[in-house]
Amino acid sequence: MDFRWTQEEAAFRARISDFLAESLPADWERFAQHGPASPALTKYAEEFCGRLAEQDLLTPHWPVELGGLGLDPWHQTILAEEMWIAGEPRGGQYMNINWIGPTLIRYGTEAQKSRYLPPIAEGRALWCQGFSEPGSGSDLASLRTRAVLEGDTYRVSGQKIWTSYAGLADTCFLLCRTSEDRKRGISILLVPMDSAGITVRQIPSLIGQGDIHEVFFDDVAVPVSARLGDEGQAWEIIGFSLTNERLGIPRYALARAALDRAVAVLQAQGEWAGEAVKIEAGHAAALCEAARVASYAIVSARARGETVGAQASSARYATVMAERRVCEFITEYLPEALADAHSYLKMHHQRGIVAGIAAGAAEIQLNIIASDVLHLPREPR
Amino acid sequence: MDLSLSADQTAILDALDALARPYASAPLHDAGFALTSAALDRALQEGGFLDVGLDEDLGIGTAALIVERLTRLPQATPLTSAIIAPLLGVETTAPICLIETDKVHRPVRFLAECARVVVVGDTVTSFIATATQIRAEPEALFAYPVGTLLARADTREQHDIAPETLRTHWRIALATEAAGLLAAALESVCAHTSERQQFGRPLASFQSMRHRLAECQVRTNTLYWLAMKAAHTLDPADAALAALHAQESTRVCVYDFHQFMGAMGMSLEHPLHLWTYRLKYLFGELGGRGANALAVALSLWG
Ligand SMILES: Cc1cc2nc3c(=O)[nH]c(=O)nc-3n(C[C@H](O)[C@H](O)[C@H](O)COP(=O)(O)OP(=O)(O)OC[C@H]3O[C@@H](n4cnc5c(N)ncnc54)[C@H](O)[C@@H]3O)c2cc1C
Repeated sequence: MDFRWTQEEAAFRARISDFLAESLPADWERFAQHGPASPALTKYAEEFCGRLAEQDLLTPHWPVELGGLGLDPWHQTILAEEMWIAGEPRGGQYMNINWIGPTLIRYGTEAQKSRYLPPIAEGRALWCQGFSEPGSGSDLASLRTRAVLEGDTYRVSGQKIWTSYAGLADTCFLLCRTSEDRKRGISILLVPMDSAGITVRQIPSLIGQGDIHEVFFDDVAVPVSARLGDEGQAWEIIGFSLTNERLGIPRYALARAALDRAVAVLQAQGEWAGEAVKIEAGHAAALCEAARVASYAIVSARARGETVGAQASSARYATVMAERRVCEFITEYLPEALADAHSYLKMHHQRGIVAGIAAGAAEIQLNIIASDVLHLPREPR
Repeated sequence: MDLSLSADQTAILDALDALARPYASAPLHDAGFALTSAALDRALQEGGFLDVGLDEDLGIGTAALIVERLTRLPQATPLTSAIIAPLLGVETTAPICLIETDKVHRPVRFLAECARVVVVGDTVTSFIATATQIRAEPEALFAYPVGTLLARADTREQHDIAPETLRTHWRIALATEAAGLLAAALESVCAHTSERQQFGRPLASFQSMRHRLAECQVRTNTLYWLAMKAAHTLDPADAALAALHAQESTRVCVYDFHQFMGAMGMSLEHPLHLWTYRLKYLFGELGGRGANALAVALSLWG
């Protein structure tokens, strides 16, 4: 066991933080409050990702032949941490880079790869993920958006909800039903968002403007060539995507950075004297570092080429605990942060609330841990 | 960074598992409160397992791996020595008993004649206990043999170690032992609740139980990694974080573990208490959660 960063890993992190320091505008922290999917940040992200790409820092973990540097999961983690701590200047593009791209690399046809990978690698694409529906959230396999094949065209009808980035995305990674079989009846279509019959409605949200949407599909024509993988292969494919994205966003890193910032403010304001505030901050820090080290254990397994199973859900749940405790700490001891006194802390608070919901509810992680880590008998259905 | 075991660590743990296996499966009917095994203590000494911390290549990190495994056994052994002795430069043959100068009334585990008592205050000193300086507490509710220190030796060996450095190692020992204890307790509760049927189904198929056990898994897993990190870095902040997480996780898990066992969890014929009542001992060490949270705050933010 070696818990030290190698010199090369430390240099990689320094390179990213130097790049961020040089590139981000002076009013960045206030600007980042726009939320990762807002029109303002999306526009900024296009320019920012372009510059990242020029520095080989957009897709460094992709294979060399596809424009990456073939770097290992540790580098991917370092990159993700630095970006998320900075308020995610890549906006919604982080999703392309982390799992949409790798999934297309693995399952896409040559035509799909040459159409979709270069814009992702150059920082020009924005995808959205059409999974959840009004009737299908945690129970995703019950989804009902239907794709009916007529000749060589699917006709898609149905509704998605909570779709991040949908208002500005150019392509949707869409899950839809092609037969009645619960899981093997689901297929993936790569759908241009300007297709006739798609309507997007923004839903106002706690995390900022433009983040979540309803997307209506009214007899949308999608060529069969836009199907990713075989009919009915979606469940297997998203299983693979999840192994790339199982840990999700490194929220523990921003939570810890926000905690450090809050303590610095309290110290500067002379409000760091009593024991109560220090004890609470200590507890919050312990949960952040617990989540971090459990996540690193997963990254280490991935870096060794091991399959990462349900332990990833354990690390994710630890992250939810950390997010909550830091949000509670700041709400209790620095409430002015929830007003407009400290942009960075407000940004963290806005984003922190979703840790236990987006990408699968916390209780679903607990179910997975109970069944697949502890091997407890399952609940009867 | 690489969190996999080195080849040496794997080999040592394999040998340790082979040594420990008969003890893990020893019949435990009516094990009582403070189960120990002189044969196990001897075998560990002979195998040199508690001395690996003295080896520079293996260090405290490998010692912690050993300690975590051994705390899973039903038998209690004085494992703190494996993490403290290398710092003091003393042998692990006598149990090392740690005591803070401002908390001398606390029961001390493995305190017996010939144990090395390490006194931590503004300085670090130690002495070998004599029979008149100690009182055994056979009725204590901790699943360790414990004693009370009646008097400190007037002449004590001075150790040229900063008290904070000693406390850092102490926190690492605490967290490492708690990690193994929580893992063993969790495993035994999962086994029982997966088998026991009520209302026509296994108890552990009820979501209220599944979710709380899963949370205990998250705590056990994160504690393991925090403890291993602290043992490998020897960083004071890492050690304080791990000790705090150990005690907070004890608070969250211990009463649930007993709750989920029903009356079986109250019986001395089931081994659960051997792990949970040891955790109760560790719960108050080094001032408990409040003091360790303050140590975190001090080491991270001053
Ligand atoms: C900010 C944000 C962005 C999102 N972005 C996207 C996106 O881009 N694309 C997309 O497809 N989806 C997106 N989602 C949706 C997200 O995936 C779902 O919210 C999530 O899967 C939970 O589904 P739900 O909201 O319908 O909750 P429900 O399924 O209605 O569940 C509500 C609550 O019930 C509890 N619960 C549910 N099932 C169980 C169970 N089996 N056992 C115990 N408790 C249970 C949990 O506490 C859960 O939070 C986003 C959500 C948020 C908040």
